Amino acid sequence: MKIVVAYKWAFNPQDATVDSGGTVTWGRAKAGVSEYDPVAVELGRRLADATGAELIGVSVGGADTASPMATKSALSRGFDRVVVVADDALAGASTTQTALVLAQVIAHIGDVDLVLTGDSSVDVGAQMVPAVLAGALGWPSVMNVTTVSVGAGDLRVERAHEGGSQVLAVTGPVVLAAASDAVVPRVPGMKDILAAGKRPVEKVDLAALATGPSASSVAGVSTSRPELKSRGGRVLAGADVDAVVAELVAALRATNVI
Amino acid sequence: MSDVTTATEGVEPDFDVIVIGAGVAGCVAAYLLAQAGRSVVLIERGDTPGAKNLSGGVLYSRVLEEVFPDFLTEAPIERTITRNYIQFLNGSSSIGIDYQDDRLANPVNAVTVLRATLDAWLAEKCEEAGVFLMAGVRVDAVLKENGRVVGVRAGEDELRAHVVVAADGVNSFIARDAGLRTKEPTNHLALGVKAIVSLPEETIRERFHLSGDEGAAYAVVGDCTMGVGGGGFMYTNKASLSIGVVLRLDDMTAKGYASSDVFDHFIAHPFVAPFLKDGEISEYASHLVAEGGLSMVGQIETDGMVVVGDAAGLTLNTGLTVRGMDLAAASGIAAATGIDQALTAGDTSKVGLAGYRTALFASFAGKDMETYAKAPAFLERERMYTRYGQLLGDILYGVFNHDLTPRRRLMSVARGELKRSPVRMRDLMSDGIAGVRAL
Repeated sequence: MKIVVAYKWAFNPQDATVDSGGTVTWGRAKAGVSEYDPVAVELGRRLADATGAELIGVSVGGADTASPMATKSALSRGFDRVVVVADDALAGASTTQTALVLAQVIAHIGDVDLVLTGDSSVDVGAQMVPAVLAGALGWPSVMNVTTVSVGAGDLRVERAHEGGSQVLAVTGPVVLAAASDAVVPRVPGMKDILAAGKRPVEKVDLAALATGPSASSVAGVSTSRPELKSRGGRVLAGADVDAVVAELVAALRATNVI
Repeated sequence: MSDVTTATEGVEPDFDVIVIGAGVAGCVAAYLLAQAGRSVVLIERGDTPGAKNLSGGVLYSRVLEEVFPDFLTEAPIERTITRNYIQFLNGSSSIGIDYQDDRLANPVNAVTVLRATLDAWLAEKCEEAGVFLMAGVRVDAVLKENGRVVGVRAGEDELRAHVVVAADGVNSFIARDAGLRTKEPTNHLALGVKAIVSLPEETIRERFHLSGDEGAAYAVVGDCTMGVGGGGFMYTNKASLSIGVVLRLDDMTAKGYASSDVFDHFIAHPFVAPFLKDGEISEYASHLVAEGGLSMVGQIETDGMVVVGDAAGLTLNTGLTVRGMDLAAASGIAAATGIDQALTAGDTSKVGLAGYRTALFASFAGKDMETYAKAPAFLERERMYTRYGQLLGDILYGVFNHDLTPRRRLMSVARGELKRSPVRMRDLMSDGIAGVRAL
């Protein structure tokens, strides 16, 4: 059995700023394994350990996706090996492009039984790649997955719904997107990182994959920040606490807050 | 009797050398040792090298060119410093010395750097040289056996090596853990408060009278610190200014100021504010700075371990120049030399590692630490921060303020102002002599 986890080497927007014109400055933002992907890796590792499967990390992106730091960081989270397509033509690739290249890599690996992804990428957050990838592979996809286990000849998958959950039996290959809180991922220790340095990294040439240019293209025209809600800017102060509280309650009533 | 000259004791170490901290000192030591064919692991607490580092500054760069011959063309350098200003600030006046010299650019002497990018570059060089980089790992303690350091522990994992290099910065927990340092007295420490203010490149060139990649650095004393021992600084990066104050911890505590208040006071000063106009503060941080000078450099080697860079107390404040990164690089070079010799000789005990100290004090870094040994005590003299700037300002006011009173000769103005100033002739002489001796 082969389990693939698709992960992204992405800049964390926590350190980015958006100026008043909507221009995003990445500033000192650093790349890392995208925030929710370690949840999928952990889910995959546990399943692989339980079934004796091989756990393979797959990533497509810009040239830095294949940097030693990137592959070591990914491998230290529990992969047996990683396969990357690192080409600057894929830096900032669209969700469709990313998913189509991922599908090609999964075909290249061959005999993959299960693809896991994180809930969404930290930098784009479109939550589309797993669905487009499944479409390209001709497989079903299930989002918001909280648990996966191997049943009799099938996969038992639990997914969260608003207000409840559902258990599904899946036969045949499938793409599953892990809920962001499905499991708590482990923090790699020194031995994990050391072992990661010794595990294989396969670099697949983008040109070797059968990905043709898309007939459509989507380009950003402008971005803008959400408008800040205007605030009242009133500060109530006074020595008499009861009076101030009464004033606050009156003010909240007057503006229909309470 | 156990043998303390090697770490092996039947357990094969994971690496020849473990370096803790991917800053300037740690990276230089790791890089040179890997080049010498040693197996090296470089452990960094931040998720990526530089991630934890908000600092930056003026780097006297020649020493790094010795390690990386293409440093000036390859490394992420902000600007080449060709203009140095020394500025006295008073509440309502300022007096400056503007030293500009083309010779400072040819060969390049000092550059501004931002550590977030510099450290990442240095670590990349290390990886290219074969260093195993381990980022996102916080070392909890050193491993000791039979009284010598044999490795490190992080969480449940242990790594062993012949030599551990503590390059974990001014608060070096590792050096303390190994018993090499005690808690520093507060007069050995200063608090640096710094902001990075983003401005367009062109604006920076105009405001600081620069062309191309030239840069300017200001050393400021006086009212900028509200009289607290220390100083202000401002220097140009490519598209931002680094500005801040360095405040002696003991003096700030005694005067009861908050560091943020002193910083706000500095950036609002009429001399400073116009430089920052319309800039956006993109980063703001504070950091401890070692200021003890030579007296802070204590034991820097023990059985199985050496201490380098800030962790070894290697910083120098001469009043006009504040140095740390060049000394860190020099200590990294010296440590690599000493460790390589010790590994070759098969003796990584304190005695075997003594080559590090020898190499350090034979280098410019060790010699400068000795030359400026008296500087910290000199710079603790209170008058330096409060009264001289005011005295100078008052003398110049007497010269330039034509208030229709008959003019007096310069000497007479100076004598009069000195008489009115709380600075006594005796102080002036004493500070002058001490200054000449210390600097």
